[in-house]
Amino acid sequence: MSFNLDLLLAGTYHDWLIQGLRLSLGMAGITLLLALPLAVMVAMFRLSPVRALQWLGAMFVESIRNVPLLAHMLFWYFGAPELLPDGIKRWLYAGNIEVLSAIAALTLYTAAYMAEDIRSGIRSISNGQFEAGRSLGFSFLATMRLIILPQALRVTIPPLVSQTLNLWKNTSIATVIGVGELMYQAAKVESTAFRSAEAFAFATICYLSVSLILTGLGLLYRHRFPVRTA
Amino acid sequence: MSRTRFICIMILFATFFTPLTYADQLADIKKKGEIIVGVLGTDEPNSFIDPATRKIVGYDVDLSEAIAKKLGVKLTLKQLSVAARIPELEQGRIDLLAASLTHNKEREAKIDFSLTTLVTGQRVMVRKDSGITSVPQLAGKKVLTVKGGTQEPNIRKAVPTADVITFETSLQAFIGLQQGKGMGYVNDEVSLFNNYGKLGDAQKDYIILPQNLSIEPLALGIRKGEAGLKKEVDDALRVLEKSGEAEKLFFKWYGPNSKVKLDKRTFKIDSDKVDG
Repeated sequence: MSFNLDLLLAGTYHDWLIQGLRLSLGMAGITLLLALPLAVMVAMFRLSPVRALQWLGAMFVESIRNVPLLAHMLFWYFGAPELLPDGIKRWLYAGNIEVLSAIAALTLYTAAYMAEDIRSGIRSISNGQFEAGRSLGFSFLATMRLIILPQALRVTIPPLVSQTLNLWKNTSIATVIGVGELMYQAAKVESTAFRSAEAFAFATICYLSVSLILTGLGLLYRHRFPVRTA
Repeated sequence: MSRTRFICIMILFATFFTPLTYADQLADIKKKGEIIVGVLGTDEPNSFIDPATRKIVGYDVDLSEAIAKKLGVKLTLKQLSVAARIPELEQGRIDLLAASLTHNKEREAKIDFSLTTLVTGQRVMVRKDSGITSVPQLAGKKVLTVKGGTQEPNIRKAVPTADVITFETSLQAFIGLQQGKGMGYVNDEVSLFNNYGKLGDAQKDYIILPQNLSIEPLALGIRKGEAGLKKEVDDALRVLEKSGEAEKLFFKWYGPNSKVKLDKRTFKIDSDKVDG
């Protein structure tokens, strides 16, 4: 069997793969939108002067980061929804519970990593700046918002881009809970048509090109907004 | 990167991606004194892990043992996922497949098959409270099954509008059905009956729809062109059939005293031909 390019350009298998690509991109996009604010919140918790909040933030990061994503996926699909009351459960299961569970797992997982990147970015700004802000009468949040975060952003964006890259590739794990994303559709083409080379070549090119675009954006940002050194 | 380093890396790549080829697999198995057989280990009663001994047992395993005995070599089992079966065999990481493998025309282009070792239908289990009593009613509904087998294409053919969701193992699909994440669960009849048998008191909440999606002849998978190995395997199976041992094995795993509870054996191990 030789490599059949036409298979990838039109027809049922093409449609399946494009459908998978769309869902993968959609999941990555929604997850990013949900994970970023969550990550900022967790980072703030860890940096806040309140002990209980610090502890809560640390618990979140460590409990999520130290368990493989695969286990998160299986838990959010087979485990967690079973604890819900019957009515809500039935309503959820009638919809697309596969994608919802995957987004829940991806959001928490990505947020835990991003929170650490944000926290280290903030910590890279000298403490003197924070103290100066506070002594001029700015509140904790105002100091953060007006003085620390704008500077920290330049340090934080590059690692966040790389976390987004991981998120994009991590969407493929959702295949184990029956989400029809790119890897799932590639496997479907493989088992239906025995066209493994074509299907996985398509998936590889998709993952690679989206990843390269993200890397390019990261480089562009670093070039345009270099980290300011004091 | 220096030129030599580049060439070294290229050679490394080439060795990784070139499939291992043997002059004759049968001679190789005998020389090693070991036959590596790929099994699922997740599909009771064909091959599954016995909770008491933590060993993989089942109909597929017993057949493999008989073949290893005939060849006079040690049997080593390797657990595979449904989707990895044919690639693992093609790349020579296993010598033989005994993994609930359907013999069909499409697959004949990739691998060879032994004599048919089991004939089973493929059917759908549903929850009673779904009100579904026949296969066409699954139109537009979520149907769960295992990834990489014939189950998915078969249900798609029978009910083109069904929303088919696949998992790595059939057990996960079965759990999905029990949790209510899908309306139906598709599998080989023997595996479905076994799942049903394990439901215990909950049996009253489930039914297996009477229609067959297809009739599946299961066989052992052999790498393409290994005529020597195929002959030995087929001979071993013929001996089992003739001595009545094959029938005994059938009733051991699928008979009235098993969870599957079949009372008849409607086939004989005597042919490696399937209908297209």
